Amino acid sequence: MTYNWNFHDVFVNWWALAIGVAGTLKLFVVCLVLGMSLGLVIALGRRSQNRPVRWLSTLFVEFFRNTPVLVQILWFYYALPILAPIEISPFMAAILGISLNSAAYSAEIYRGGIQSIEPGQWEAAKAIGMSGLQALRRIILPQAIRRIIPALTNRGVEIFKMSTLASVVAYVELLQQGKLVASLNFNPLEVYTVVAAIFLIILYPIVRLTYAVERHLARSD
Amino acid sequence: MYEWDFSPVLAQGGFLLAGFRNTLILTATALSGGLVVGLLLALARLSHRRWLSMPAGVVIEVFRTTPPLVQLFWFYFGLPIVLAVEMTPFLAAALTFTIQSGAFFAEIFRAGIVSIEKGQWEAAKAIGMSHSQCMRRIVLPQAVKRMFPSMMERSIELMKTTTLVATVSYADLLFQANELAQKTFRPLEVFTVVALMYFVTISFVSFLAARLERRFARTGEFTT
Repeated sequence: MTYNWNFHDVFVNWWALAIGVAGTLKLFVVCLVLGMSLGLVIALGRRSQNRPVRWLSTLFVEFFRNTPVLVQILWFYYALPILAPIEISPFMAAILGISLNSAAYSAEIYRGGIQSIEPGQWEAAKAIGMSGLQALRRIILPQAIRRIIPALTNRGVEIFKMSTLASVVAYVELLQQGKLVASLNFNPLEVYTVVAAIFLIILYPIVRLTYAVERHLARSD
Repeated sequence: MYEWDFSPVLAQGGFLLAGFRNTLILTATALSGGLVVGLLLALARLSHRRWLSMPAGVVIEVFRTTPPLVQLFWFYFGLPIVLAVEMTPFLAAALTFTIQSGAFFAEIFRAGIVSIEKGQWEAAKAIGMSHSQCMRRIVLPQAVKRMFPSMMERSIELMKTTTLVATVSYADLLFQANELAQKTFRPLEVFTVVALMYFVTISFVSFLAARLERRFARTGEFTT
């Protein structure tokens, strides 16, 4: 029952894990930027006057929210290349799956934020001669985004956690590198403990910050 | 232009359904375990005894901020070394997702319990109830109704998270799909069918949840 923990072999291979962290960060940044910006476009699509645009955006959101992200990644990796004559790298498949999934989730966050702004704001903007787009950009979005910052940060944390799924298609990220180190030294217990700790060290401060921002916003509103 | 051919997939429909059954079994196990663990964690977290609230807080935060796939690997590959036990994919998955969803459920329970007005506690105490009686008879029944939407959302998340067990070879829907794709050389059709199966199931559950929410709202027992 007494097991001797030995972290030495893990730290000897720190460079392998460092490469993994770099891969995770790269995937995270790309998916964060793509997911959040596409999410805004889709949220606006759901408010569009144009019926086909509205339906397509709704379908997109429903589809990507109601299927598991791992199924999406595997679909893009194994199925998409058959339909389209393109080479899909593990990186590409992970980006497509995670970004589109996050776009669907953040679209709902943006939509909630935009809806939460009182109609009087739109009317006032129109009364002083702004077009719909101008009102959105100058008046509505700045207020809406302030309210949804905690929800968006949560989404960001989820994206970071989701990046581990890229290991399933063998993209070189932290968990994938962890697997490699564990198979080299037969020390999965120590390796996965260290991997979990790295995620905790990176994400916990962000989570605490979200709590603080939430409290701050609740007080100022 | 690619010619879609679903017949090899449909001929093996039973193979996918067996996977779907395992997905449901795992979801049901982790859900019932997660609700119990979640309630216990929430009560411990709200306790005035520091030796109870501190560890509960640590478990909740650790399981909420680390990726579920890392947790699964830890339980499947790591834990058997410390405990010297045989770990099956199902056991590892059930354990991981019970604790992981329990950590999320705990925060929902906590928010629900905290949202109940102080007057309810005071009134229950005034008529002679103990703390645990008040929690069980007065506060929890009211809190559960308020928590319903978040609970449903979390349960749906849990069902989607169970796809991760395919990576430790538990024969869930996604794992069966992978096998079938390799057997039939029809990954496009197989993964499309499987995505649709998840989509239909999860949409159906969301639809039911929305209807129940509306009913609660109408009877006035429920506020969002």
